[in-house]
Amino acid sequence: MVLVLAIGDLHIPHRAPDLPPKFKSMLVPGKIQHIICTGNLCIKEVHDYFKTLCPDLHITRGEYDEDSRYPENKTLTIGQFKLGICHGHQVIPWGDLDSLAMVQRQLDVDILVTGHTHQFKAYKHEGGVVINPGSATGAYSSFTYDVNPSFVLMDIDGLRVVVYVYELIDGEVKVDKIDFKKTATAPSAH
Amino acid sequence: MLKGKKLKLPDRLGSLVAGFEDKDEDSGGSGSVSELGEELEILQPTGFRSDRESETDDDHDHNEVQEEEPMVKRKMKVDAELEHNGRQLRHEKDGLSHISVIKTIEVDEKRSDIEYEISQKEINLEKLQRIASTGIPEGGNLRATVWKLILGYLPPSRDLWEKELSENRKKYAKLKEELLLTPSELARMKEEAFQSNKHNNAHNDTAGPLIRHEISHEDHPLSLGKASVWHQYFEHTEIAEQIDRDLQRTHPEMKFFSGESSFGRKHRESMRNVLLLFSKLNPAIRYVQGMNEVLAPLYYVFSTDTDEKNASNAEADSFSCFVLLLSDSVDHFCQQLDNSSVGILSTLSRLSDLLKANDEELWRHLEFTSKVKPQYYGFRWITLLLTQEFNLQSILRIWDSLISSPFGIQEMLLRVCCAMLLCVKSRLLSGDFAANLKLLQHYPEINIEHLLQVAQDLTPDTS
Repeated sequence: MVLVLAIGDLHIPHRAPDLPPKFKSMLVPGKIQHIICTGNLCIKEVHDYFKTLCPDLHITRGEYDEDSRYPENKTLTIGQFKLGICHGHQVIPWGDLDSLAMVQRQLDVDILVTGHTHQFKAYKHEGGVVINPGSATGAYSSFTYDVNPSFVLMDIDGLRVVVYVYELIDGEVKVDKIDFKKTATAPSAH
Repeated sequence: MLKGKKLKLPDRLGSLVAGFEDKDEDSGGSGSVSELGEELEILQPTGFRSDRESETDDDHDHNEVQEEEPMVKRKMKVDAELEHNGRQLRHEKDGLSHISVIKTIEVDEKRSDIEYEISQKEINLEKLQRIASTGIPEGGNLRATVWKLILGYLPPSRDLWEKELSENRKKYAKLKEELLLTPSELARMKEEAFQSNKHNNAHNDTAGPLIRHEISHEDHPLSLGKASVWHQYFEHTEIAEQIDRDLQRTHPEMKFFSGESSFGRKHRESMRNVLLLFSKLNPAIRYVQGMNEVLAPLYYVFSTDTDEKNASNAEADSFSCFVLLLSDSVDHFCQQLDNSSVGILSTLSRLSDLLKANDEELWRHLEFTSKVKPQYYGFRWITLLLTQEFNLQSILRIWDSLISSPFGIQEMLLRVCCAMLLCVKSRLLSGDFAANLKLLQHYPEINIEHLLQVAQDLTPDTS
């Protein structure tokens, strides 16, 4: 049972002052084993805050991040799953599933976590899954002002992943879950 | 004939004592602290011991012991044979082979007595208790079986054993399933039971957005709700971490418990399950540091059972016996009950009264002159059933007497504690607060049979 937090696009301090208080009260240290961050934090203070939640932090660079040392994309293996992270502003058209599928094949991962669109999405295709945790602060994006704050918590347990989606809708936290299993012999997507 | 032997022994005292001191020097870390240069009441051949006894000037108690000496001496030799780990006893075998024939016969007799008793259809618990309180011989599964019988885990009718054991073990496995699974495992099992069909369909889709399901009852990992399975799980991780830390420190000198071998880790994991389960079933006390020490001898005895089936179910058996063992003393662990009539302070004052009834001089010296109150040394003795004061072999022997005592475990425990005080009386009388406290908190090695005999002969406190 490994809990992985997928979060990103906070745009603190430029577009939002802080995480919504209801989210902050839920995110306490000691429960989460890994944090995957898609990017656009943007400042060091947010990085430090995430470090207090969990020491194992993986971040990729978003176009507004002040720290230029984050990588463009990253892969890691947790349990039986290979995860890949990429912010998504590099993938054109933004949010296009086929282009993201190309990145997934390139990184050779089972789950691709990507951001930039500030919209929560979870897609399954061709043996892989793309998850977009949305924006944790509800910051406006180039597409729309109307963004619900959201983030994702994945519970990886053997060959099964349960994805818990946390959204702040009308001031209330709504939690949904999605689960999927990795097929034991995953066919190569080439 | 025995008298003749008694006379011979003093001649050899010199060599024996010298031999002993050497052994003492190189027996390091056996878990109990033996202070160099201060051997005192440690097991010696009878002749030597009677010298020591004159130091402890209690009159009537020791006259009785003197008369019983031949029996006690024999039992002490029996104990000597049986203490595999007791390095301090090895020297005895060198000089006393002419008595060894007698002691081997003694052990075998006792072993066959016990085997006879437990092979009866309807076991006579009283008789078994009487034999057991003189010490259960090592080897086979005697100790494990006798403890289980006397604690009440096994019924006295042999026919019901199979049924009882398998029922209890099943119950334990069920409890484990209910309480010890991680929430994700629980969720997975539920899903597999209900939604296997739906799942298969969903996953045959090659592409498209994944279906979102509603969550019931705040059933997500970050939930702060009290009713949430996840919340309860995380609350217990703190306790689990504490248990893990303590288990690492249990009997570090023994391969059985410590070390990174899969063997040691398996045992620690079993003990962890037992303690975690206990803490979940007893939210009022949860887990208190030291419970691991009380569990250790039980688990050790049950796992080293020569019967394969019993050894592999040691976890389930030791859980039940752990609960039975702690049933009257569990209140000692609860801080809120400290000052009540069932709490530790009341038990400690009973210890004090017992000492007063048996040896007023020592009592006065401890209470008033050196102001060493029982709380300072007795707390650990009583709550942990003396597991921190002696090495494992001695603990097993002491527990033989505690468990099978007709007075009940707690009563006998108080007696043994009182006996511990009496046995170091001369040192206590000559010590001040600091010296006495140091002595009692690091109790010296001592002849266990002698200690238990003193405990047996105490006058009960009738106030």
